[in-house]
Amino acid sequence: MVEKLTPSRVIFNILNYAFMILFSFACVIPIWHVLMASLSNPRMLMANSGIIFKPLGDITLDGYRMVMSNKSIITGYGNTILYVVATTVIMVLGSLVGGFLLSHKDFKLSLPLALFIMVTMMFSGGLIPGYMVIQSLGMLNTPWAIIIPGSINAFYIMMMKSAFDQLPAAYEESATIDGAGPLTILFVILTPLLKATVAVIIMFNVIMQWNNWFNASIYLPKRRDLWPLALFMREILINNDTSKIATQQDAENASNMTANLVKYCVTIIGTLPLLCAYPFAQKYFVAGVQMGGIKG
Amino acid sequence: MAVKTAARQEPVKLAKPGSWKRNFQRYKALYFLAIPLVLYFLIFNYAPMFGLLMAFEDFKPARGFFGSTWVGFKNFIDFFTAPNFLEILRNTFVISALGLAVGFPLSIVFALLINEIYVKWFKKSVQTISYMPYFVSTIVLCGLVIEFCSTNGLITNALVSLGLVERQNLLQNPKYFWAINLISDQWQGLGYGSIVFIAAITNVSGELHEAAAIDGANRLQRVWHITLPGIKPMVVSMLILKCGMLMTVGFDKILNLYNTAIYSTADVISTYVYRVGLNGGRYGYGAAVGLFNSVVNLILLLASNAISKKYAEQSLF
Repeated sequence: MVEKLTPSRVIFNILNYAFMILFSFACVIPIWHVLMASLSNPRMLMANSGIIFKPLGDITLDGYRMVMSNKSIITGYGNTILYVVATTVIMVLGSLVGGFLLSHKDFKLSLPLALFIMVTMMFSGGLIPGYMVIQSLGMLNTPWAIIIPGSINAFYIMMMKSAFDQLPAAYEESATIDGAGPLTILFVILTPLLKATVAVIIMFNVIMQWNNWFNASIYLPKRRDLWPLALFMREILINNDTSKIATQQDAENASNMTANLVKYCVTIIGTLPLLCAYPFAQKYFVAGVQMGGIKG
Repeated sequence: MAVKTAARQEPVKLAKPGSWKRNFQRYKALYFLAIPLVLYFLIFNYAPMFGLLMAFEDFKPARGFFGSTWVGFKNFIDFFTAPNFLEILRNTFVISALGLAVGFPLSIVFALLINEIYVKWFKKSVQTISYMPYFVSTIVLCGLVIEFCSTNGLITNALVSLGLVERQNLLQNPKYFWAINLISDQWQGLGYGSIVFIAAITNVSGELHEAAAIDGANRLQRVWHITLPGIKPMVVSMLILKCGMLMTVGFDKILNLYNTAIYSTADVISTYVYRVGLNGGRYGYGAAVGLFNSVVNLILLLASNAISKKYAEQSLF
């Protein structure tokens, strides 16, 4: 619809566009600041007190070199990728099977099963009993503690269920007549039709696993070699402990100066992959939020 | 289609005597598929629920769940009479309510404003950028907050030069924690929170707008009389959902931001359970506090669902 441009409309438009530009600026600037700081001369960085719009001094990759030559960041990256892949496989399989079972009206167990699963959306044992279960299963300090618990959850099963519900029953009927078993129907015939929902689940899981430092911090206290990237980042950014990143020599030289640079570089290394990927996954992200049922 | 559906249901009807058996024979594979799923939920969801009974125990790890002594409601009474009980309860409620009271209207207003932008590429770019902070991980967000609010941080510098605060580490001052937490939450979640409202606004009929425009309604009148009533169902159901989570504050962020100096405003139920229960080894006590929180949440959820059923004529279950 074409708007008539009254004076008040023009003023509103100017203010609105100005606000949107400022808002976008506010979203981007903290990360931009860190990115530019990570490329700056560490000495000038120490003296700086404002927002950094372009690298201070000559662009330097020293910080990144220091971080990348350190084993724990590489280990963390590897572990995070392992956890992302493993939990995604379990989550997708579990949600597909769960959603398929619940959407099957003729299957007499579907309603009791739905109730059984939905109870867990409303009530949970909470942190400590959950920890005790993992402990008594002997999963403490093993990667299983990160991979298995929580990978299958009621929200995604319900999301899959409504996706299955929207498929016409004819697909399954004709496949049954052709002699296909339930597993063939589920994975060969129906799953390809639900690619969008599967993509949504994968995306939310990637975000969640990428962020997940907490489970590792309580379940893997003694196994640094199994820590995900987020937990190493926590050590550096929150607990302010860069000693394990900077080499001995650097630490002696100018620990404070390099420590700052290292922090900025670690922030970028841990953030960039998702920030580069999300514009492409945006479609699924928006769709997923609209499907609802996802907690923020 | 209708005929086919009827034909599909018929065998079940015929099998009424002993129909479970019949159903099992027909859907054997489905029953077997259900087994691992049921086991999974039993072990990882129901076992912890059963484990909540330790809230009534003086739980000693050495003696285990079955060997520890029952103490009735002692853990709960200990919590209710703890010196910081009211403080923790207040912090949990205030932090969550502030987020709702500020974040909710803000995301609606943002959605309305973005809907007023007619340059397509600009609108799309702003939307994309607005989701960006959501993809910044909690650790990084907290790292940024800690850095910017430190004695020589960006935000501290700006506020000091405006004469609003004295030079200090803002995260060491209990006065500022709620504001810091609220603003960083909004920075991360505003674009994300407005997605549902932008979608709802898009679905409001364009014909109504055109008719109103012909009748001489100006833009503001149309927003007030057409757009807002159009998204009301979405607004009401989102609001009720959020009210059901009013005593839920995740520990993810606070655990990374708080420190002993600001426990008085930053400590919430979930962080308390983690610190005192898990780290402090008072497992039974921690489980009791967690159980208390779960029960309050469940009551809030059921209550808001009931209200939603009555007034918004929609419900979650």
